[in-house]
Amino acid sequence: MKALCWEGINDVRVQDVPDPQLLNDQDMIVKVRLSTVCGSDLHLLTGHIPFMQAGDVIGHEFMGEVAEVGPGVTRHRPGDRVVVCSFIVCGRCWYCRNELYSLCDNTNTNPAITQQLWGADPGGIFGYSHAMGGFRGSHAEYVRVPFADHTAIPIPEGVDDLSALFASDSVPTGWMGADLGGVKPGDVVAVWGSGAVGQMAARAAQLLGAERVLVIDRFDYRLRQAAQAFGVETINYAGTSVGDALLEATGGRGPDVCIEAVGCEAHSTGPQYAYDQVKSKLKLETDRPIAVREAIYNCRKGGSVFVLGVFTGLVDKFPLGALMNKGLTVRGAQQHGQRYIPMLLDRIASGELVTNHLATHIMPLSEGARGYELFKKKEDGCVRAVFQL
Amino acid sequence: MLLAAGAVTVAAVARRRRRAPDERDRYLAVTVNRAPDEVQSSLPEDLARWRDRVEIRIRPAAGDKGTELSVQPSEQVSRHELRLALRRAKAVLEAGEVVQSDTAPTHPGPMGKALRLVTSRAGGGGRL
Ligand SMILES: NC(=O)c1ccc[n+]([C@@H]2O[C@H](COP(=O)([O-])OP(=O)(O)OC[C@H]3O[C@@H](n4cnc5c(N)ncnc54)[C@H](O)[C@@H]3O)[C@@H](O)[C@H]2O)c1
Ligand SMILES: [Zn+2]
Ligand SMILES: [Zn+2]
Repeated sequence: MKALCWEGINDVRVQDVPDPQLLNDQDMIVKVRLSTVCGSDLHLLTGHIPFMQAGDVIGHEFMGEVAEVGPGVTRHRPGDRVVVCSFIVCGRCWYCRNELYSLCDNTNTNPAITQQLWGADPGGIFGYSHAMGGFRGSHAEYVRVPFADHTAIPIPEGVDDLSALFASDSVPTGWMGADLGGVKPGDVVAVWGSGAVGQMAARAAQLLGAERVLVIDRFDYRLRQAAQAFGVETINYAGTSVGDALLEATGGRGPDVCIEAVGCEAHSTGPQYAYDQVKSKLKLETDRPIAVREAIYNCRKGGSVFVLGVFTGLVDKFPLGALMNKGLTVRGAQQHGQRYIPMLLDRIASGELVTNHLATHIMPLSEGARGYELFKKKEDGCVRAVFQL
Repeated sequence: MLLAAGAVTVAAVARRRRRAPDERDRYLAVTVNRAPDEVQSSLPEDLARWRDRVEIRIRPAAGDKGTELSVQPSEQVSRHELRLALRRAKAVLEAGEVVQSDTAPTHPGPMGKALRLVTSRAGGGGRL
């Protein structure tokens, strides 16, 4: 079959790879219909996550049709339409039972790598390096889905393929940021990043009752999209002081909840960007936590900061003093998709949650490399490139 | 790059964790989300086969977390082997099977080959 493979830093190509097989009883094979790029893939492309082998199939945000099920699968049948969460979960370990799905104990086949780096191993992800289990990704005609009863979720009839696609990753990620960030009715919420994840966090904050939601980015087209889709307020950090704008918008308090949806390759117009670049070139820091710093610094006293952006290792100039002295709660997580996806599909079906505007570029898989190029360079108004199979 | 940072971290951890003689006997442990009697009565073969050579301890975990399953390493079985056995036993007890990784690519490249050396031993876990 055809699949889009990581072949080296900033090099992805469509290759012929063997069809996936059922390897475990609880596996199923999904015929992919739509698979999309995610900001997390950029960290693979740039070599930020070096646990890749040439020929690894990438992609983890996808939906499709069940092609074949193993004897241990009871909830899905061939022909069913499913959205597959980017995280592979067993559904029965303590973490899964407590709805902390991305922390599943039983799905990372190479736990020693992340145990060494982080002290413990999170669950496995499709197409996201050998540190996260070495599973093949979804930019392919077919994907093997382990623990299929728990990893994949049926798509209700009222939800079209394109809207359901984003329920795999960006929508539950954004929702989790607002939910676990503790957004309450009446809150003022600031979101760093106006990509799919940031936009979905902003919409989730609204649906959880936030009174005002402000989204921060430097790309006007992305801010415009968020404003048009959801009526949020926007701040372009290229021309404005984010701190001043947030103080003005909150009567001098700062936002109640700050959600960071940018990640380890954050950009900045100020001198700290050069500082972080030099530090990372010298390998004295692995990630650029620019938006995290800003979120912590600008959050109101006693407020909450949620880190959705992906970080891999060590950061510098972490504002621990602000965190401690302002009494903040700072949390982060990889998405606990299975906790939210059924509810989110219902909200999509009811029209309350719109997602398909994120698909700015729909193209065949053969154009995968171009899709990533547009997405990476944020060209031609690209928010998500979607591959149709 | 993460690998560099990873190597530094690993070296630091290894330095910190070079074991004092009495530490070599420390139990290796996993917590299984099943009741102690269930773990006792259906100990998976992956672990049960070492029964004669290592001490296996089963006791309730704190709170609602199930059962602590521990083994005390001995000269006869490598720590790596025991970690793998514990991890596999836990997966079987909790989820009914040990998930297999997908077939690896055919042309991993030099970096990929180096990585394969790491992943070939990364199954059992443990902070080394
Ligand atoms: N936690 C999870 O489970 C999970 C899931 C999916 C994605 N992610 C992560 O979420 C992040 C966003 O993903 P995405 O798909 O929306 O990516 P994206 O690349 O489409 O969007 C990121 C946005 O952040 C903006 N940005 C960069 N620096 C900024 C700064 N200093 N201040 C404000 N905005 C800034 C960029 O201009 C861009 O629009 C990534 O780090 C991704 O890895 C996490
Ligand atoms: Zn993602
Ligand atoms: Zn689990």
